[in-house]
Amino acid sequence: MSTTALQTRQQPSTLLSYPRFLARIAWLATDGSLAFYAWMTLLTAISLVGANAWASQVAGGMIATNMTDQVSWGLYIANFTFCVGLAAGGVMMVIPAYLYDDEEMHKVVIVGEGVAIAAIVMCILSVVVDLGRPDRFWHMLPGIGKFNWPISMLTWDIIVLNGYMVINLHVVGYLLYMHYLGRKPSPIWYIPFVFLSIFWAFSIHTVTAFLYCGLGGRPFWNTALLAPRFLASAFVSGPAFIILVMRVLRITSGYGAPPGPAQTLIRIIRVSMVVNLIMLFSELFTLFYTGGLHATSAKYLFFGLHGHSGLVAWIWAAMALNITGTILFFMKESMKRSWIRILACILCITGIWIEKGMGLIIPGFIPSTLHEVVEYSPSIVEWKVTAGVWAFGLLTLTLILKVIASVFTGRVSERSRFVSS
Amino acid sequence: MRFTHIFVLLTVCTLLSTITLMNSNNGDTEMQFATLNSELEATPGQPSNPTPLSAEASPAKFAIEIHQPDGPPMIELKVPDSDTAEAKIACSTCHSLREPDFSNKSDVALDQFHQGLKVSHGQLACYACHNPQDMGALRGADGSRIEFRNVISLCSQCHGKIAEAFAHGAHGGMNGFWDLSRGPQLKNNCIDCHAPHAPRYPKMIVGFKPHDRFLDLKDEHATHP
Amino acid sequence: MPPTPESQNKQSLPIAENVTRRAIVKGGFATLGASAFVAAVSPLRNATQYTSPAAFLQQHYTELSAEDKVDVIARLEAETKENYGADVQIADDRPIPGTKFVYAINLSVCNGNGKCVEACHRENNHDRSTNQSYIRVIEMPQGTMDLEQGSTTYSGTVPKDGKFYLPVQCQQCDAPPCVNACPVKATWKEEDGIVVVDYNWCIGCRYCEAACPYHARRFNWKKPEIPADEINPDQSYLSNRVRPVGVVEKCTFCLHRTRRGKLPACLEACPTGARVFGNILDKNSNIRWILENKRVYILKEELGTKPAFFYYFQ
Repeated sequence: MSTTALQTRQQPSTLLSYPRFLARIAWLATDGSLAFYAWMTLLTAISLVGANAWASQVAGGMIATNMTDQVSWGLYIANFTFCVGLAAGGVMMVIPAYLYDDEEMHKVVIVGEGVAIAAIVMCILSVVVDLGRPDRFWHMLPGIGKFNWPISMLTWDIIVLNGYMVINLHVVGYLLYMHYLGRKPSPIWYIPFVFLSIFWAFSIHTVTAFLYCGLGGRPFWNTALLAPRFLASAFVSGPAFIILVMRVLRITSGYGAPPGPAQTLIRIIRVSMVVNLIMLFSELFTLFYTGGLHATSAKYLFFGLHGHSGLVAWIWAAMALNITGTILFFMKESMKRSWIRILACILCITGIWIEKGMGLIIPGFIPSTLHEVVEYSPSIVEWKVTAGVWAFGLLTLTLILKVIASVFTGRVSERSRFVSS
Repeated sequence: MRFTHIFVLLTVCTLLSTITLMNSNNGDTEMQFATLNSELEATPGQPSNPTPLSAEASPAKFAIEIHQPDGPPMIELKVPDSDTAEAKIACSTCHSLREPDFSNKSDVALDQFHQGLKVSHGQLACYACHNPQDMGALRGADGSRIEFRNVISLCSQCHGKIAEAFAHGAHGGMNGFWDLSRGPQLKNNCIDCHAPHAPRYPKMIVGFKPHDRFLDLKDEHATHP
Repeated sequence: MPPTPESQNKQSLPIAENVTRRAIVKGGFATLGASAFVAAVSPLRNATQYTSPAAFLQQHYTELSAEDKVDVIARLEAETKENYGADVQIADDRPIPGTKFVYAINLSVCNGNGKCVEACHRENNHDRSTNQSYIRVIEMPQGTMDLEQGSTTYSGTVPKDGKFYLPVQCQQCDAPPCVNACPVKATWKEEDGIVVVDYNWCIGCRYCEAACPYHARRFNWKKPEIPADEINPDQSYLSNRVRPVGVVEKCTFCLHRTRRGKLPACLEACPTGARVFGNILDKNSNIRWILENKRVYILKEELGTKPAFFYYFQ
């Protein structure tokens, strides 16, 4: 069990060492350069702006948003949908690492899981800020409240999202703790959970798609292709986001991975993005060639309807971003550590954020079920709250990555009780 | 000379009465209700009904009450310089003096009396419904006498399908209770809603519209071109 | 960096000067951050006035005992008095055994005058500023049933030539997608067919609103504004009591009237007599006669929601 280094001293009991581990990583996570503090202060400030906007929204009612009875979900749920994809995509990296025993991938895997945790935090926050009565949150708790499981897809989503967070917290926490102790992680304690999280990553995005495509009254969502499309786009946005994170990590902390994993990620992105675009094309063909009632929302989205065209600019921007991003990913330079790779990642992430967020959620409500066209664009409060959610998510991600980098670069371990300044 | 005077008076009065008649569905006059005849009455459910879907209806303790016209329309005399200022006269006051014109079907020919009366009721002649023998009553298709109170019977001669729908609550609306074991149900008669001489239901103005948040009335109009 | 020898000697006392200074700075920032957070969310203090501890802890409607209900209703009546200055009576109307409510509208006579919309607004204590109502009337061109051709924003003189009018409200579906959607069972179908909402249990996620194919549900985006003298005092817990902010509401076929044997407000208000309401289990009821004898149209029947709401033609 214990390594030779530790045999010189008495093996500390987990009961003592684990709290100490937590305390130390908490200390460590809040330690850094001036730039780090500036970054954290900025994120904290944006989070606080978001918290303030949310508090005023709760106090005055959701009249502060631009949602209506016709468009009853808006930016919050759009952002939620994207974040679920990010969370799912983060763990997709586990597949090459464990299924194909790609040793080099392991360094990326833990980053992917860190991204997943931060993304789930953003998902949960996005849902909470969308609630009209957050004070009644306890009504959702199984056992205490009333949980409409298994009928309501939303209860499934609550289960899979929280379960996913727990699994990833366990895997990341366990690997970090073992590394900190200087022990080799015992496969029994994490390999099953890693496989579970692969399965679970599929489930969170599938269930989230089912949330929408199970509604017969919303023809735009009511398509069997929705879940596959969600997965394909998650396989793009997740790895692309991880590539960006790895780049930032390499520059700021020296926690770098060999070029292999990033190339694997790009190969995954290439395939997924093409599949995503094919499915999107297939969807659009079915809608527009058939025409009729099902195509109305798509018409609104792409060309405008009855003189309303609020989303047209958004969706064409997303199309342009996605296609340009895909082309860039297929360029040879993307396999190198080039700016093209970074640009391609940013383009695809933004494109998918629009396509899957505003471009998917809002047209589901336009026209309304009685075919009224009531347009929607987010209010200032909604933008503030969403920025706050992102800032808090990035804050969480920064802390997680800081710990990961410190532990895995050996700057902190059980033997080094002190944080070197 | 005296006759011209009376003619003018009567014309005014007829006009007034027509307006009163047409407005009678406003219900500002004291209402008389008569219990609906037995055929139309809600029948109590059979306790022996075997199917579980058909629940045993509670015994109807209350009746469906149909509003009836007060009686033959009276023509009010409002003559400022007369000592009979409050008097009402019956239709027969004038009509007994005149020969009925059985052929008249339109308001165009009414050049002396009933000025302004709009007649738009198919190809019906006045005396298809009015009783030439007694202007204080209506006339059935078979020449029988129908009291004004029973106007539904008169209309139902032609509008049988409507009458059937009315009997089953599918026409004419209602007020009060759906459950006759708890309270009565009130219904209108034909001429409460339909002016007898021009029965097409009048046009209405939309007065109340829900407006959605953020949409002022200008925007709201833009739902569809 | 490797730990210094000095620090290894003082394992049990992990205090170094720079650590202390940092700890103080960090503690300071943490305190600053925490107080900034408290300041940021301070508007929440205004929100707490909407929720008393008793309201916060209130159980789901179906789990309230008779005594609980007395307390809850007394509290709600007091709240209405306090917030709106109106004396109201909130009853707990339960389904009448052996009833299943069904509604029908005669599309041949409805002229789109909107009296039903207004009656609903007044009867159900809707927000005055938005003219909220559970009913929407769609003006449709004759010759189609495609809602895409319709308009809800028509005005002026009705009926217009070549148009017919389609009033839509909650269809009280027998397979209600909204009930399935709710994650906390705050909405359910009662024995007489009415889909109700426990306004004190709803968390305001609006998934039901997304699930409903008939635009039957409304969300309270803000606290409803109603002058005291316009509040309908004849209320029911599951029906027209003044709703709290942040919850979803819907048409209940006026259960505070219909469960007492009366007709719904929208029906009484209809000047054309287009509306028919009744108990479909009573084989002598008007509604049974209509369904057996008239041509009936069911809105979005293809969705399989099994509405208890029918449109018929003369």
